[in-house]
Amino acid sequence: MSRTPSELLQGTVDILILRALAWEPMHGYAISRWLDARSNGVLAVDGAALYQALHRLEERRLVSASWGTSENNRKAKYYTLTAAGRSRLRAESAVWRTYAEAVTKVLKPA
Amino acid sequence: MTRPRPSFRFPWRSRADIAREVDAELAFHLDMRVRELVAGGMNAGDARRAAAAEFGDLEGTRTYCRAADARSDRAARAADRLTEWRQDARYALRTMRRSPAFAAISLLTLALAIGANTAIFSVVRAVLLRPLPYADPGRLVAVNESWPFDPGTHAPLSPPDYVDYRAQQHAFTDLGAYSTAMGPVVWQPAGADPTTLNGIPADAHLFRVLGVGAALGRTFDDDASGDSSSVVLSSGFWRRALGSDPHAVGRRLVLNGRSMTVIGVMPRGFVLDRTEDIYLPLDIRDDLARPEITRKQHWVLVIGRLRPGVSLEAGRADLAVVAHRLAVQYPAADSGRNAIVTPLHERAAGTLRTPLLLLQAAAAIVLLIACANLMNLTLSRTIGRRQELALRAALGAGRGRIIRQLLTESLLLAGAGGALGVALAIAATRALLAINPGTLPPLFAVGVDRQVLAFSVLLSVAAGALFGLIPALHAMGAGANDALKEGGRGANATRSGGGVRRVLVTAQVALAVMLLVGAGLLTRSFTELTRVQLGFDPAHVVTAQLRVSGPRYDSVPTTNAFYDGVLGEIARAPAVIAAGAATILPTQGSVSTSMRIEGQPVDESRLPDMAYVAIRGHYLEAMRIPLLAGRRFDASDTPDGPKRVLVNQTAARRYFSNGDAVGKRIRIGPDPNGEWMTIVGVVGDVRSGGLDQPPIPTLYVMHAQEAWSHTLSVVMRTSDARAAIDALRRAVKDADPSMPLRNIEPMDDVVGARLAARRFALGLAGSFAGLALVLATLGIYGVLAYEVSTRTREFGVRLALGATPASVLALVARRGLAWSIVGLSLGIAGAVAGARLLTGALYGVGPLDVTTYALVAAGSLLIVTVASVVPAHRATRVDPLSSMRSE
Repeated sequence: MSRTPSELLQGTVDILILRALAWEPMHGYAISRWLDARSNGVLAVDGAALYQALHRLEERRLVSASWGTSENNRKAKYYTLTAAGRSRLRAESAVWRTYAEAVTKVLKPA
Repeated sequence: MTRPRPSFRFPWRSRADIAREVDAELAFHLDMRVRELVAGGMNAGDARRAAAAEFGDLEGTRTYCRAADARSDRAARAADRLTEWRQDARYALRTMRRSPAFAAISLLTLALAIGANTAIFSVVRAVLLRPLPYADPGRLVAVNESWPFDPGTHAPLSPPDYVDYRAQQHAFTDLGAYSTAMGPVVWQPAGADPTTLNGIPADAHLFRVLGVGAALGRTFDDDASGDSSSVVLSSGFWRRALGSDPHAVGRRLVLNGRSMTVIGVMPRGFVLDRTEDIYLPLDIRDDLARPEITRKQHWVLVIGRLRPGVSLEAGRADLAVVAHRLAVQYPAADSGRNAIVTPLHERAAGTLRTPLLLLQAAAAIVLLIACANLMNLTLSRTIGRRQELALRAALGAGRGRIIRQLLTESLLLAGAGGALGVALAIAATRALLAINPGTLPPLFAVGVDRQVLAFSVLLSVAAGALFGLIPALHAMGAGANDALKEGGRGANATRSGGGVRRVLVTAQVALAVMLLVGAGLLTRSFTELTRVQLGFDPAHVVTAQLRVSGPRYDSVPTTNAFYDGVLGEIARAPAVIAAGAATILPTQGSVSTSMRIEGQPVDESRLPDMAYVAIRGHYLEAMRIPLLAGRRFDASDTPDGPKRVLVNQTAARRYFSNGDAVGKRIRIGPDPNGEWMTIVGVVGDVRSGGLDQPPIPTLYVMHAQEAWSHTLSVVMRTSDARAAIDALRRAVKDADPSMPLRNIEPMDDVVGARLAARRFALGLAGSFAGLALVLATLGIYGVLAYEVSTRTREFGVRLALGATPASVLALVARRGLAWSIVGLSLGIAGAVAGARLLTGALYGVGPLDVTTYALVAAGSLLIVTVASVVPAHRATRVDPLSSMRSE
């Protein structure tokens, strides 16, 4: 996977982050671990892309942020999915699923 | 993973805060990664490098995140503001609904005050601020000459002087001329009754100087001979009479019996003097051919355009040089004369400037009083609402937030009041201008436009801020704790804000008294004017203007035959008691000429200046102008016989020893070798120039002998105006059906028209003063009533302890009276200082007229006493028992 976020990738990172936060509020580092673990390292997103995406999502009010205390008792910035973020996730997921199915169908040997 | 415990985050952060937070967040990420790598067995240095490499563009991310955060903070702040404001507005509306009386009084007060200001400002803007309808009007100047040795006068130029000024000046791109001295023009439309038009002769230079070309066709050529039968139409006449005919150029109109060709139509909005219909070529070739006579005949109005970069002062200096040269060259006509150069706009606004600014000041005072009143009301209310406010503060509303909320209330009120006021102003200006036509020169279009609206909005916001902010700050200054502890309406409520309220009431009374004195002085001037000895009796007199035109009337005998026929015919009508005619009616101004008296030494440069009226028939009898010596004109004075003349009393006294003028001979006009005329009688003075102008020396000549004027005002004394007018119409129709009658009106109206502008201004000033007095009275009443209501318990105790009702009454009323008397004295002092500004508008009273001041003082004192005693009386009716139980 390229480490330079392309236009396509930017959208992908956004939806992956939203998905990660759908479960519970997390700080940035936790999100990157979660993505790594869920995709078995295939969808490793670098820090630069991750944090730019988080702040972009915050500006668009898809996530909200607040400072909290992390598991190892340090101050960390936690991100929470907003109602708008949740509905965006639903919509984008549906699009992705359709897209992925279509690509799979095309690539399937006849 | 544990749930985060959110810590408080400040709703908006500084740039530095944002930077710090972004740094901390990114540092946390890198630290966590380093820790993980170290836990996996890497050494610390390698782990840091690896974490940084994995992260990617750290600096870029930092910048990106900071910018994004700043943007989202800004958006959040705006959203917060909007929500807050919505809350405030909703809250304000709810509060107002709970006290509809307060809201209604505030709205009405504001609507009246802002309406008055808007209305006056719309006139100020039209008359003083809007540019004239010409190109680059700031460079246009009016050029006049002073009368010899009387530098204050502004006379028109004589044709030869005009041409000399034009040729010899250097400071102007050009000078142009027109004249308003031409009588009405008779237009004979094909197959319809003749009508009269307002025509203005103007030369080609004038249109160039003004920088306005024709919308259709062209304006005049430099060579007047080529255009002598051309006419240019005003846009209004073109639309009204020709139905906006796009092919109007080239059409022919029969004007004054001659066929003229339309060569152009001026654009909409172009106007020279009044609502003129047509422009004719100004032909001064005859005048220039005999300058020795015409250089003294001043009737040409001149406008010049300063060259770019040339100042008004330089323009004045330039024409002064020419004036001096002319005085040396033509001492008989021009010695002692100066050129007077004034910005054109100043001349157009003329005498309106001072009264308008005074009215605007009066309106501003009304607004100030209204603001003081509302400030008082709001102050009382906020003090009454201290508990509520304190509760809100205790629940976490910041100081700023509460002040903002109170301001929202007053701004909403001011906004609504302002909107009502503008509506009121639009309706009022329309109505007033409709009732009083002719009050303003039609050159000015009065109306509420964008700038007037902006003015009103600004005024409303300023008013709202003024009467909202001070009480809000005051309420907040009191401190929340005290208010909560104090409970209900504590004794403190009276004291807090008392100082501010006293000052406000005092100021209101002072301002109202100033306005009342002003209005009083104007009223006294007006009554003085209506009592003026006119010198004639306008009652039961009707007048009409009658003009002869066309080649037929170029001969004196036909003109005489026409007028003699008409006057003779109406004299026979049973309704007509006496009938005559004159070139100009009393109070309508004067035409002047000069006079030489036989046997008296002549100083050519200082000939006596005389008003000149040509009369026919029984004009003096119809007007009841008394004969004081000698005789009137009679049948023995024939058109071709020896010339006869009458003088008025002022002329007789000023220029003849013992006033003995009868039998003396004079020459009139600039020609030193003119025919001698014999004075046959002396008649009484009349107010010729206007009611406020003293009589001037006047000559009456026989129109039959001096029939140069083709327009006469017919005057009929009658018992039945309608029958008399019918008789006049029939007589004119019999004599020549193509001659129109116009301006048929009672002489009372002619006189009244001279008072119209004054009556208009007086009405406005009077209503402003009345409004101010009402507001100030309400102010005193409101403050005292509020005070009484908050001190019910105290009065109850006093009465229970044996105080007499009279002493309680005195206690309250004394306070109100004390403030009022201070205000009254300040107001009188202010009026004494300010009344000098009114001097120009006064007639028959001085600015320090004692009667007016005494009446205003007594009247105001009476009214404030009532306003103080009524609430005080309520204090005496307090029932001691219930008042103490109520709290």
